[in-house]
Amino acid sequence: MSESLTLGSHLTIWIEAFVTLALFSFLYKDNPIYKFIEHVFAGLSAGYYAGLIGQSVIYPQLLDPLYSDFGGNWILLIPFGFGMMMLTRLTPIGPIPDLSWMSRWGLAITIGSTAGIFLISQLHGLVMPQTLDTFASFGRAGNTVEFAMAILTLVGVISTLVYFYFSKEHVGVIGRVAKVGIWFIMVAFGAQFGYTVMGRVSLLIGRMTFLIDKWIVGSMGSMFN
Amino acid sequence: MKRTVPIILAIGSGAILAIVFFLNPDFKLLFGVTSDNIKQEVLKWVTIVSGFTLILGVVSIFRVNMKAFQQKKTDRWYKMVTIVSLLAMAIPGVFPGPATEIGKTLYTYLPDWIGVYGSQNGIIVSWLFDHLDAPMMATMFATLAFYIASAAYRAFRARTLEATLLLAAALIVMFWRVPMGEAVLNAMSPDLPEWINTILMRGVNASVQRGIIIGAALGAASMSLRIILGIERIYLGKT
Amino acid sequence: MSENLRPMGFWEKVSKLDRRWIYSAVAITVIIPLIWRIDFPVGITPEAKQLFDAVEALPDGSTVMLTFDYYASALPETEPASRAALHHLFRKNCKVVTMTTIPLGGPTISERVTRDMAKLYDKVYGIDYVNLGYKANYVAVLSGMGSSIEDIYPADNSGTKLADLPIIQNIKNYDDIDFIFVVADNAIVDYWISIVNAQYNTPVGASVTAVSAPKYYPLVTSGQMTGLLGGMKGAAEYEIMVGKEAAAVKGMSVQSLVHFLIILMVIMGNVGYFVSRKKKPQAA
Repeated sequence: MSESLTLGSHLTIWIEAFVTLALFSFLYKDNPIYKFIEHVFAGLSAGYYAGLIGQSVIYPQLLDPLYSDFGGNWILLIPFGFGMMMLTRLTPIGPIPDLSWMSRWGLAITIGSTAGIFLISQLHGLVMPQTLDTFASFGRAGNTVEFAMAILTLVGVISTLVYFYFSKEHVGVIGRVAKVGIWFIMVAFGAQFGYTVMGRVSLLIGRMTFLIDKWIVGSMGSMFN
Repeated sequence: MKRTVPIILAIGSGAILAIVFFLNPDFKLLFGVTSDNIKQEVLKWVTIVSGFTLILGVVSIFRVNMKAFQQKKTDRWYKMVTIVSLLAMAIPGVFPGPATEIGKTLYTYLPDWIGVYGSQNGIIVSWLFDHLDAPMMATMFATLAFYIASAAYRAFRARTLEATLLLAAALIVMFWRVPMGEAVLNAMSPDLPEWINTILMRGVNASVQRGIIIGAALGAASMSLRIILGIERIYLGKT
Repeated sequence: MSENLRPMGFWEKVSKLDRRWIYSAVAITVIIPLIWRIDFPVGITPEAKQLFDAVEALPDGSTVMLTFDYYASALPETEPASRAALHHLFRKNCKVVTMTTIPLGGPTISERVTRDMAKLYDKVYGIDYVNLGYKANYVAVLSGMGSSIEDIYPADNSGTKLADLPIIQNIKNYDDIDFIFVVADNAIVDYWISIVNAQYNTPVGASVTAVSAPKYYPLVTSGQMTGLLGGMKGAAEYEIMVGKEAAAVKGMSVQSLVHFLIILMVIMGNVGYFVSRKKKPQAA
């Protein structure tokens, strides 16, 4: 691998290694190089969005259809108008007065339609099948272990829901069920924490693999061989 | 105009998308327009309008940084770094790709290399993203491994029964979920890894996550209903 | 005051260790196994096997949607899964439709990974695979593709009209897609299940980051989700089942050692805490 690296590839790897180490340097303490890279990151990310909006919305969904067949696609001027109204958030600018209230129109369509989809999908796609399965698992149980698991699941679901139900004071029966709920929740959150550690370590492995395999072995190795 | 129209738009778009779920997609409403046609048109509009929020974000970042630079604050040059980086990525990125209808016309007047280097799939944007932006993002998240190790060491104490349950479950998962730990568990009993998966993950964990999913989904659905009924108006902001 | 002047015992010192020592220990534990590899067999979980079996059971030439719903921050966990999935799909001559709901980098990552993998199997863009790219508002995108993909994506990621791509001629909506393989680092999986699977009955399997994996177990047990890969370990499992061991399998030995280090640190921290707590009343 190392022999075939071009000068450009070497340079790319060294730049990538530099930004990686610069960001890791924050672990020791904040410093100007870290800050510099941090600001480059913010700028590049924002710049990426600018290109993305052109390539994913403006050209394919608006300009291309309007340019190639305006008569058949004139209706797209309506969402285009709503989109432009979103930009009134940026007012007042120079002589343009404050028109930011107009941005609510586009926002309202987005929020409203998302609510429309959510209302159905959350109930039909999550609440109903998850509730049904909690009980259906008893019917599916083919042996004692599976039946015990069905009981465990039912107790876990109910006690978790009760724990997160704050409209009633957690005393008496509700208090005792909520107490069982917190035990279940703690075990689940512990498992989640274990998984989170795993995830974070994986990300570190990714960067370290780059530094060792590509930078030290790949680039530096080929230089000194 | 300022409040009534957006409320009507939110109620209208929300109600349409909720109602069409129950209708036959080919159900003709007016002038041969089917319920599915209406749904698709609304969704198409939503993807377009939502896209404009990204423009809003980019322009806001540019303005805030430009303002800070002009005000000659102590870190003004860092703000300039952000602005220059933003423009370095944005300028080549906004050129249309050669395959777009606009691009096909544009590159008969402009040299072809603009399309090769510019546009979202062009060499400049891809290089800047793959070799600067992506490693930066990955490294920032990679540092969390150090913080989480330090936090686990300092704060993860078996002070109470609940904390002990949390700690025990975390340690079991950390041990079980890696090959070396799995090998140790297998040596103790070949069924042990499977049992941990069944009881801890598919049992206790799944039941709690199910409770959370049901609770959160009910919350999301009721909030959606409030928006569609026009009760929830927080998205309108002040005034 | 005298408490402060009392020399610190071993366990007290341990429990007050400077964070930089911890950081150094983590860094060394990651670096060493990357240089001297120690391999342990990677066990296959039933959830991962279920996903592999579902893809394996698809007839050759089936149409599969592969999503790149992840940011670059999660690449070490997710990219190996995407690559392993593409090995599997291209090997089975599946028609692959890729898309992303991630604005920052999603289209670039999907373009890079898909084209890279397609070269290995001599697959032709537009005929064997297509990259739809990104569209804003994922709820609307997922819902809209149920009736017509072309309504939401009039053009692919490069701006080519969808109607001009041969692969799309037989793919109108989810009815024409045999399986959806979601690779994600966020809650988008919820919507693939609650909108797409629930309303259009297309089977959905997912590879997610370790952080979000526990959340999806109830969706697997209820049968709404066809298999689950959790984090780098999940990707390693898929790599092994596909027979293409790569980055994720390589990372497993490092993952093992770092987990052991963290477990050791947690135990030491607790011992230090209990020892110093026992000592305190005596000192007072």
